[in-house]
Amino acid sequence: MTSSEIARIGAAGPVDRQEGHAGPVSYDQMDDHELLRLHVAGNPDTFGFLVKRHRDRMWAVAIRTLGEPEEAADALQEAFISAFRRADSFRGDAKVTTWLHRIVVNACLDRIRRRQVRAADPLPEDEDRAAELAGPSEDDPAEVRERRLDVLNALKQINSDQRSALVLVDMEGYSIEEAAAILGCAPGTVKSRCARGRARLLPLLRHWQTTRGGSEKSGVPEKAAAEVVGTE
Amino acid sequence: MTDPGLPTSEHLEHLDTDTIADLIENLLPAQEAHRAREHVKACPDCQLTYDALVQLSEDLAEEGREDIPMPADIAEHLDQVIVSESVLRASTVGVHSLVQIREEPHRHLPKILTAAAAVVVVAGIGVGVVIATKDQAADSAAGIGPSVLPSGVPSLTARDVGPDAQQWLESTNGPLLNGSATEQVCARNFASGRPNPQVRLVQPARVDGKRALLIGLQGGSPRDIQIFAVTGCDDPGGVANPFYDTTVTLRNR
Repeated sequence: MTSSEIARIGAAGPVDRQEGHAGPVSYDQMDDHELLRLHVAGNPDTFGFLVKRHRDRMWAVAIRTLGEPEEAADALQEAFISAFRRADSFRGDAKVTTWLHRIVVNACLDRIRRRQVRAADPLPEDEDRAAELAGPSEDDPAEVRERRLDVLNALKQINSDQRSALVLVDMEGYSIEEAAAILGCAPGTVKSRCARGRARLLPLLRHWQTTRGGSEKSGVPEKAAAEVVGTE
Repeated sequence: MTDPGLPTSEHLEHLDTDTIADLIENLLPAQEAHRAREHVKACPDCQLTYDALVQLSEDLAEEGREDIPMPADIAEHLDQVIVSESVLRASTVGVHSLVQIREEPHRHLPKILTAAAAVVVVAGIGVGVVIATKDQAADSAAGIGPSVLPSGVPSLTARDVGPDAQQWLESTNGPLLNGSATEQVCARNFASGRPNPQVRLVQPARVDGKRALLIGLQGGSPRDIQIFAVTGCDDPGGVANPFYDTTVTLRNR
């Protein structure tokens, strides 16, 4: 196989070599289930297209959970390779994004656990790289990028247990019970981590909340802002 | 309405944010929760904190619904990894379904291993993908042996670093960039402090039993590659610490 025979991932190529399609069908027109089914059947291109379709969503999950771009990139790489190889175990009654999301979350949590075992040292800051995380500047208005960065930076400042619980429950919409199952702890622990995480985030996002809501109601009293950020 | 049995807010310490957050999550014991609730009703400051915490959850949920564009270099790397996986699965003799591979692992294993040894994803950041297979007729014609490409994390002695790296690079048509994103970043950072920061090789390896990263940088001529064996690239933000280096001259450039 030569380089010219390898299609670039994401190229909406026709499917005319697999499983008796009546005619060329663009990957764009296929739903996630169909792309995954073709991948399991041996199509070399459809998984890459699936990744391209959902990578920004999965990147958001990974970067919010891990806080560091290199860690997030490694976690996503592990997650997508795992999904690639285990695709035939996907049960068709769920959404593909739900399945992928769960694999990504687990890969992120695995990295957090490994990091906790390795060292308690915080990861170094990389301001230049952090700004890049907010995405290409031409894609979003400045205030959207600024808010995104504020949230990412604030999440990095709380401990990883609280961050994982908050990302799962508040940001990704998992129920307390689902988050407990994913995190391998009791529902009460998840609730406690969420509560403490919000208490830590509140002063860090005071500016963000005020400008976002613009109302007196969403303001945060000075006493909260003045509290020292601590751990659980 | 404040409980008549409780003092008014002016006579109470403010609740701390943790307590209010616990109140919202129903984590306080019944009696403490009752008192806290009554205090919040009577105390404008604590009511403000309470509202802000509730609002924070809603704002996080709204923010969570937003995707974040993946940086282009990471997207490129991910593309290459998936292409590599696809080629690995297809091997050199045809496409296999995952079910076939799972049901007949022994039959497919040799092919997969052969493919693993044959596949190289050659990529600079922002550059396309080149896949090389074991069929390297051009190399053979040039008097260079068959392709020998690293698989996984090869173990070698320091003395072998130069010859092995030379062999790998001669088996590809461009840079050989393996390893995790963390290692790639570490290698780029290492290269950026050098006179010629062009990265030609990134390969995790065990050198004399030590976990290392081999980094190849363009030397003084197109055929010369400086090879460094470094530690310190395993963790994000790690700094490459070279403990061995050599220069190789490629015969097919």
